[in-house]
Amino acid sequence: MCGIAGIVFKDKKLHPVGRFMTHMLIALQHRGPDSAGFAIYGGLGLEENEYLLNIEVKEKPKLLEEVKSRVSAAFPIESEEIIPSVENYNIYRCKVSLNSFSQLKPLIMDIDKIDDVIVLNGAHSFEMIKDVGLVKDIAARYDTESKLGTHAIGHTRFSTESIVDRYHAHPFQSYIIPDITVVHNGQITNYWKIRDPLERKGHTFETTNDTECIVHYIADKLAQKYSLEEALEESVKDMDGPFSYVVGTPNGVGIAKDQLGLRPGVMAENDEVFAIASEEVALREVMDTSEIDQISPGETRAYTI
Amino acid sequence: MQEFKIDANQKTPREVNRSLRQAATENDLITIENPNAMHYLAAGLIEPVEVIIDGSAGYFVGTMIHGARLHINGNAGWFPADNMTAGEVIIDGSAGDGVGQGIYGGIVVVRKDVGSRTGEIMKNGTIIVGGNSGFMSGLYMMGGRIVVLGDISDDAGESIIRGAIYVGGDIKSLGKNAKVEELDPEERIELKELLTKYDFELKEEKYHKFRKIVPRSARPFYGQESEEG
Repeated sequence: MCGIAGIVFKDKKLHPVGRFMTHMLIALQHRGPDSAGFAIYGGLGLEENEYLLNIEVKEKPKLLEEVKSRVSAAFPIESEEIIPSVENYNIYRCKVSLNSFSQLKPLIMDIDKIDDVIVLNGAHSFEMIKDVGLVKDIAARYDTESKLGTHAIGHTRFSTESIVDRYHAHPFQSYIIPDITVVHNGQITNYWKIRDPLERKGHTFETTNDTECIVHYIADKLAQKYSLEEALEESVKDMDGPFSYVVGTPNGVGIAKDQLGLRPGVMAENDEVFAIASEEVALREVMDTSEIDQISPGETRAYTI
Repeated sequence: MQEFKIDANQKTPREVNRSLRQAATENDLITIENPNAMHYLAAGLIEPVEVIIDGSAGYFVGTMIHGARLHINGNAGWFPADNMTAGEVIIDGSAGDGVGQGIYGGIVVVRKDVGSRTGEIMKNGTIIVGGNSGFMSGLYMMGGRIVVLGDISDDAGESIIRGAIYVGGDIKSLGKNAKVEELDPEERIELKELLTKYDFELKEEKYHKFRKIVPRSARPFYGQESEEG
């Protein structure tokens, strides 16, 4: 059992999306205490080809210097920040300017070669915040309530198959195209049937977590010029198992639910906001819920701005 | 009439339910304020008390109640009235999956739409849905009746063994062992009495649109009809 949520402000303007998503995830805390995460879109204000890296670095002498050296040897570091986390780890955040998006994944893979270091993500149009522990602690650590944006997705994790750590916290991101993220509640039981063709196309998997499989699947469809709605509909046909998941893209949010409807999903909408979540209790944090829709088995919903 | 109020704000479901059980022995009407879609409200309540949940409830509201009467002013999550043996659960808004799952008796009324698997494995009792009901409504239903005023989605009455599902709208598709029959006049009168009692005002012609989904066989998977008691 995990908690998933998504919110879009329809006017495309900046809103306190971080605060809303924080409250939605606190309301969903009972669905998963292991880790939590946010992808907050639209508020970073980066220049073209600028990317923000979140790098988990163990507290060891000279390790951070090694990371900085590795990054700066490839691309100049424009700004940096250190966020102390728990269990003797820090999150090193730096902004780099690349020549193109295609340089991002190789840079990440190069940094990942350093022992006790892993790049949690690299993004242009959204801010990724994910860590182990409870939402309220993560929210305080990263000041999520201050984050502005146009839309966001979020997650509270109750781990089933894979390890509990920062990297396996949701959202997961794909680098097939820029800035695609997924949060997920459930299991994809035909995992290898989905993964194999994606790998044969050259897409790189970093874990055996099924959520990573979903995010690459969706990114691959979007790369083939499927719309978000079409990609979601295809996934429902192709994927087996109990699942509901939420996708974040640079211009929207969508949800898909398995054909037997074995994982929950509800949504509410008004003139200003489109919101989806595992349970009504999260929707109540952002709008009046006198009218909510149950997402039906096999159904998808999406809103793009 | 003795009345009591419980403010659920900042309380856990266990704390609310403990207060509710204590108050139920000494009061006739209990109002739960600020429920905020909390799970498990009124779970296992066996006093014949009236409870108003002033807002939305979460999962398993009224699970395993015996004789209590719950009125939820908002929506409900998954499995409202699960395994209820007697009593009444009325939901003014919509509800999620598994409404009235496994009930042995009593009545569940949802005024708007509900999710999937309404009344799955129910043994007896009545479920009324004012709007539409989703996928596999009446799954493995073993008795009782479901009344859906709107449409019913795919695989209605999947593997139904006993009981009946009355549908006023469209039936998208039937599940295994399910068939559709017309109502006889007595059933139509009974249906009208039931719906009128719960404040559903339907025109006379609407009652003539109702059909019922019933099992093809009481022993669809193994055994013989003659073994059926």
